[in-house]
Amino acid sequence: MAKLGEFELLVLLSILRQAEAPFANRVREDLEDNARRRVTRGALYRTIDRLTDKGFLTWELDPTEVPERGGNPMRRLTVTEAGMDAVRSARDVLTAFFGSVRTELGGA
Amino acid sequence: MSALPPRRAIRLLERVLQGDPAARAIVGDLHEDFLKVLDRKGERAARRWYWREVFLLAGGRLLAGARLLASRGLLARGRLLRWRDPARAFMQDAAYAARALRRSPGYALFTAGVIGLGVGAATAVFSVLEPFVFAPLPFHEPGRLVWIQNDADPGDQSLAAITVRSANLYDFRERSSSFTGLTGYNGFFEAAAYTLTGAGEPTRLVGAGVAHDFLDVLGVEPLHGRSFSPEEGEPGGPDAVILSHGLWVRRFAADPGVVGTTLTLNGLSHAVAGVLPPTFDFSSIFSPGVPVDFLRPYPVLPAGDRGYQGNRLFLIGRLQDGIGIDAAAAEIAAIMAALAAEDPERWGLAAELTPLQEHIAGPFRPALFMLAAAAATLLLIVCINVSNLLLARAPGRAREVAVRKALGASRRRLVRQLVMETTGIALLGAAVGAGFAAVVTAWVPRAAVLRVPLLDAVSLDGSALLFAVAVAILTDLVVGLVPALRVAEGKEAAVLRDGSTGQSQSLGARRMREVLVVAEVTLACVLLVTSGLLVRSFRAVLAVDLGFDARGVITWQLAPGEMFRGRPRAASDFYGALVDRVAQVPGVEAVGLIDGLPLGRNRSWLLKRIIGEPEPQEEGIQVFPQIIDPGYLSTMRIPLLAGRAFDRQDTDETAPVILLNESGARRLFGSERSALGRLMHFWGEWDWEVVGVVGDVRHVSPEVGPGIQVYYPLAQMPDFTTLDMVVRSTLPPAQVTAPVGEALREIDAAMPVEETRNVESIVDRALSTRRFTLSVLGAFGTAALLLAVLGVYGVLSYSVAERKTEMGIRMALGASAPTVFRSVLGRTVALASVGVAGGALLSLVATRLLESLLYGVSPTDPVTFIGMALVLLAAAALAGAVPAGRATRQGAGVLRAE
Repeated sequence: MAKLGEFELLVLLSILRQAEAPFANRVREDLEDNARRRVTRGALYRTIDRLTDKGFLTWELDPTEVPERGGNPMRRLTVTEAGMDAVRSARDVLTAFFGSVRTELGGA
Repeated sequence: MSALPPRRAIRLLERVLQGDPAARAIVGDLHEDFLKVLDRKGERAARRWYWREVFLLAGGRLLAGARLLASRGLLARGRLLRWRDPARAFMQDAAYAARALRRSPGYALFTAGVIGLGVGAATAVFSVLEPFVFAPLPFHEPGRLVWIQNDADPGDQSLAAITVRSANLYDFRERSSSFTGLTGYNGFFEAAAYTLTGAGEPTRLVGAGVAHDFLDVLGVEPLHGRSFSPEEGEPGGPDAVILSHGLWVRRFAADPGVVGTTLTLNGLSHAVAGVLPPTFDFSSIFSPGVPVDFLRPYPVLPAGDRGYQGNRLFLIGRLQDGIGIDAAAAEIAAIMAALAAEDPERWGLAAELTPLQEHIAGPFRPALFMLAAAAATLLLIVCINVSNLLLARAPGRAREVAVRKALGASRRRLVRQLVMETTGIALLGAAVGAGFAAVVTAWVPRAAVLRVPLLDAVSLDGSALLFAVAVAILTDLVVGLVPALRVAEGKEAAVLRDGSTGQSQSLGARRMREVLVVAEVTLACVLLVTSGLLVRSFRAVLAVDLGFDARGVITWQLAPGEMFRGRPRAASDFYGALVDRVAQVPGVEAVGLIDGLPLGRNRSWLLKRIIGEPEPQEEGIQVFPQIIDPGYLSTMRIPLLAGRAFDRQDTDETAPVILLNESGARRLFGSERSALGRLMHFWGEWDWEVVGVVGDVRHVSPEVGPGIQVYYPLAQMPDFTTLDMVVRSTLPPAQVTAPVGEALREIDAAMPVEETRNVESIVDRALSTRRFTLSVLGAFGTAALLLAVLGVYGVLSYSVAERKTEMGIRMALGASAPTVFRSVLGRTVALASVGVAGGALLSLVATRLLESLLYGVSPTDPVTFIGMALVLLAAAALAGAVPAGRATRQGAGVLRAE
C-alpha cells in the first residue's frame, strides 16, 4: 500500500468530515479554519491529484451549475475503500504511538 | 461595475489548466472565492486577488512540470545537464548587475525615469486602444454582427437622415435570408424622458426602445430574468423594462428579487423583465456620453401602420454562417428595389451596411491612430535618449570590462552581465511606466463626459502590464545590446593603455551621439508641431460664437408626461404657470423653455415648400426645429435681428407663427427683412408665417455651422417629448437650484428636480473629445521637449568636459571667454537647427494625417511651425548655455590641474 503523508491524511479526513459537500473549496476552508494551517490552492489541487493517482480518492464533476461559480461545475470528492484503509491504518499507528507517550505529553 | 473575475485572468487560467480534467471545477472554485473576496474587500481588491491566485497556480504548475522533467532525467541529457550551475551563474550576474546599479544610483534612476516616461505613455495609449482594436465587443460572435443605417447624403448626418423606418426592418425580416436575426433600437431614445416614482424620490431616467429580440440577436444573456417577449414588442402590448446593471445596483441594491415586480414610470406600471449583465453597457457601446438606465420594447410594424412612420431605428443584423457582408448588402439592395417597385410612394429605402465593430470604433480611428503614433514617437525619443546615456557611459565601462576580461571573464558572460544591468533598469522603468499608466487609465473611464465609446472598458489589466514590461525590455534590448556588445568586444589592451581616466572618446563616437541628438530634436519637433496645431484648433473652436450665452444659466429637464397630448391649451397653461412661478424665485433673472437644448439632440424636419415660390423639385429642405416658449430667447441672450419674438398672444387660436435664424433667412430669402411675413409649409393643413429673425446658434456642435433653424411657439406646437427649462440667475447655482426645485414641486409634485446642469457644462461636453486628444498630445509634446533638452544638455556637457584641456589651451593662448562660450553655444544651435529643419520637413508629412482633427487652422500653419521651431531652438540654446558657461569658467584652471 502506498504511503500517506501528513497533509494527505488531513485532506482525506477533511473530505470525510464534509459529508454533505465534499468539495475542494470546503476542504480548504476546513483546513484553514480548523487545522490551523495555511493551504495554498495549488498545494491542495496537487495533493488531490496525488491521492487520486494513489487510488485513495475518486472524483466526479457535479453537474449542478450554480451562478456563484460562474456556471462551472463542482468536483465531488469521494474517498475510496483503499483510501479508507489507509486512513484507518494511519489512525491505528497514531493511536498506538500516542497511547504510549500519554504521560510524557500530559493533558487528556 | 463588474462582479465578474477579470476575463483575461480566466483565459490565462484556462490555458494553464488545459488538459486537466478538473479544469472547469478549478475555475469554479476560484470564481466562488472571488465572490467572497469581492464581498469583503470590494472589486479592486478582488480582481487583484484573482490575478494573484492565477499567477500562483500557473507558477506552481510550471515548477511542478520542470521538476517532473528533471526527475525523469530529460534535463540530464544534453546541454542542460548542469542546469544548477547556469542558475547559480545567473544569480551571480544578477547580484553583480545590482551592485553596479547601486554604485551609480543617479544614472539608474534617471534612466529608469526616462524609460518609464516612454513606457507609461505607450501603455496608457495601449490601454485606451485595446478595447477598440484587440478586444471583441461583448457579444456572441461579434464578427457576424452588422450595423445597418440609412445611406444619407454625407452633408446631412442628422439622426433623422441616417435612421431607418420601422417598416424597413419589418420587410427586411420578412424577405431576407442572409441573417439569422435582424433587430434594431430607437435612435431617438434620448428624446423621451421617464420619471420613476413610487420608490423613493422621483428620478428622471433614460430608457432606450429596442426591438423585442434585441438581446437575442446580439447574443446577450440577461443577468437575471429574461429578454422581452414578442407580445411585449407589439404596439399596446404589456409594458416591460430590462434594467441596466448600473441602475439595478444603484437604485435596487443589486436585489435579484426586483425581477417580476413592477415600476411606475411616467405614471404607468411597467413589469421588470430582467437585468442586463455588467458586461453589456448599452450606453458605452451605442450612445457614449448618454447614460441608459433601462431598455423597453419598441414595436416593429409593417408599412402603412400609423404612428411609426418616420425614420427612427438603427438596425443590427447577425449574418448567417458563411454569408459575407457584401452578399447581405446585395440582398438588402434587391429587397429595397422590389419594395420600391411594389409601392412607388414608398420612401426612406436606403440601407448601408457596415461591420458593427467598424461602425463603433471607426469614427475614432484617426484620433486613436494619432495617439498611437505620438506614443510611438515618444518611445523612439526615449530610446534615443537612453542610447545616448549608454554611449556616454561606454568609455568608463570599457575600462572596467577590460580589467575583468584580462582576468579571464568570457565575452558571453560579460555581455550577459551588461544586458542584465540594463534589464534591471528596464524593469524599474516598466514599474515607473505602469504607475504612470495606472494614473491615466484610472482617470479615463471616469471622464465619462467623453463621447467616445467603450471607454468604460479601459483599465490597466494584466495584458497592459505585460505590454509595459515587453515594451520596456524591448526598449532596453534595442538600446542596450549594441553598446554592451561593443563594450565587451576586444581591444582591452588599447583601453588599458589609454590614459588613466578612461574618459576619452573617439571622434566617431562623438559624431554618433550628435547624430542621435539631431534625431531626437527632429522627433520632438514633429510632436510639438502636432500638438501645437491641436492647441490652435482648440482655440479656434473656443473662439466660435455659439450664438447664446451659457454663463450663469442652469437647466432642468422637465418630464412632460403624456398628459397634454392633443391638448395644446392645457400644455401652454401648465407651462405658463410653471414659468411664472419659477420667475418669482429670488435671484432668478429670466426663465425659458425649449424642447431640446443646443449641442444636445439632433433632428431635422422637412420644409415642404415656401408659399409664393415654385414647388421644389426635391422632397424638401432639411431644417432644424426647436420648440420654445416666449422666455427662451431672452434667457439664452439670443438676439432678435428683425421682426418680433414670440409672446403670450401666440396661442393655438391665433395664426401659426415661426422664427427663422439669420443664416436660414439669408439662404431662403436673401436677407432678414425679406423673410418677414413669408409663409412656410411643413406638413398638415397650416402654413406658418415668419414673424421674426434671430441670431444663429451652433446647435449640432461648435464645429458645425448653424444651417436653417426654425423656432415654433410651444403654445402652437405642443409636439414635444422632452422639455428643458433654462434659468438665468445672478446667484451661484447652488443657491438657486433648491428654491427653483421647490417651486417646480409646488406646480407638480411628481416633477423630478434634483437633476440640474449648467449650460456651460453642456458646452464643455461638446468640447470634451477635442480636449482629451489635446491634453494627451500636449503631455507627449512636453515630454518630448524635455527629453530633447536633456539630450542636448547631456551631449554638450559631456563634450565640454571632454574638451576642457583643449579649451584651457585655447584660452591660455588668448581666446577670450566669450569666444569659447560662443563656440560651444554655436555647436548647440547648429545641432538643434539641423534637427528642427528635419523635424519641420517630417511634420509636413505627419500633419497631413492630422487634417481631420483640425479646425480653423491649416496643417501647414506657418505660425505653429515657426513658433515651435523657436521654442525648440530656445530650449536647446538654454540647454547648451550651461555647459558653455562651465567651459569658460574652468578656463585656465584646467591646465593647472593637469
